[in-house]
Amino acid sequence: MKHIDDPVRLQKEILKKTCYLAVIPVLYSLVSGEWATLLGLLFGLLIGTLIFRLRLINIERSLQMSEGKATSFIRNRYFIEYAIYLAVLLVARKNPAVNFLATAIGLFFIKFTVIGWVIIDLIRDAFNQKLESFKR
Amino acid sequence: MVQFSPEVIDTIIKAAALLGAGFAMIAGIGPGVGQGYAAGKAVEAVARDPEARGNVITTMLLGQAVAESTGIYSLVIAIVLIFTI
Amino acid sequence: MIQFTPEVVEAIITTASLIGAGVAVIAGMGPGIGMGLAAGKATTAVRRQPEARGAIITTMLLGQIISGSTGIYSLVIAIFLIFS
Repeated sequence: MKHIDDPVRLQKEILKKTCYLAVIPVLYSLVSGEWATLLGLLFGLLIGTLIFRLRLINIERSLQMSEGKATSFIRNRYFIEYAIYLAVLLVARKNPAVNFLATAIGLFFIKFTVIGWVIIDLIRDAFNQKLESFKR
Repeated sequence: MVQFSPEVIDTIIKAAALLGAGFAMIAGIGPGVGQGYAAGKAVEAVARDPEARGNVITTMLLGQAVAESTGIYSLVIAIVLIFTI
Repeated sequence: MIQFTPEVVEAIITTASLIGAGVAVIAGMGPGIGMGLAAGKATTAVRRQPEARGAIITTMLLGQIISGSTGIYSLVIAIFLIFS
């Protein structure tokens, strides 16, 4: 993985890759004309991105504390995040213009990006190692 | 002898399926705790040997992705219970 | 033979789905505990090796992305149960 030592650049890289990956479902919902799905995906992606940025700020703040204090700080921040997710999913379910499942998938999108990136890197490394061993 | 009419039996089964879907999601606690524990251990490993950080992060992410599958099982079971009634 | 009126049937199903939703939300507790554990370890790690700070923050951030999603699963199920 690139930029392991610099969290801010890694964050930008992940957001860039998420944008590239999100083009597929957004284009699909545009072509098939399902506006509720499109709105839900964009809503979920927006909230997921904002929460991703919030987490980096919280981690930076927690590193200045003592061990017990950092534990309870991050735990409380997670419960605030959980309340935000609850509000977002309730709004998506109540409002008929927004698709509920598309919102949930939009919230998961950053996770898909990270796992896909790691697996592609792993496959590339294994392939390069095989190639090296064949060259010798 | 107590006998139930078919509607009563149907009601009880529906109620039990919905309750069961809720209880199935308790399994979500496990992966959460386990993944957090793995992240903590990975952080310790990075601090002990910063040279190996690439390998440590890759291993941590793969392990967490595999640990996630238990949560997905419970999610699938809960969805099946909700939508088959 | 025992028989229920339609209101009783409705009430039993609503009660069961609400209790189920309440139990499902308990699962949101797990990621909180795990993330807190990781944060506590990270503070001691940064004290021990301040030059590896960037790599430690990166590791924690990636770990939190993956571990936070179990809570969303339980929320999705709970909202399905409440509104079905």
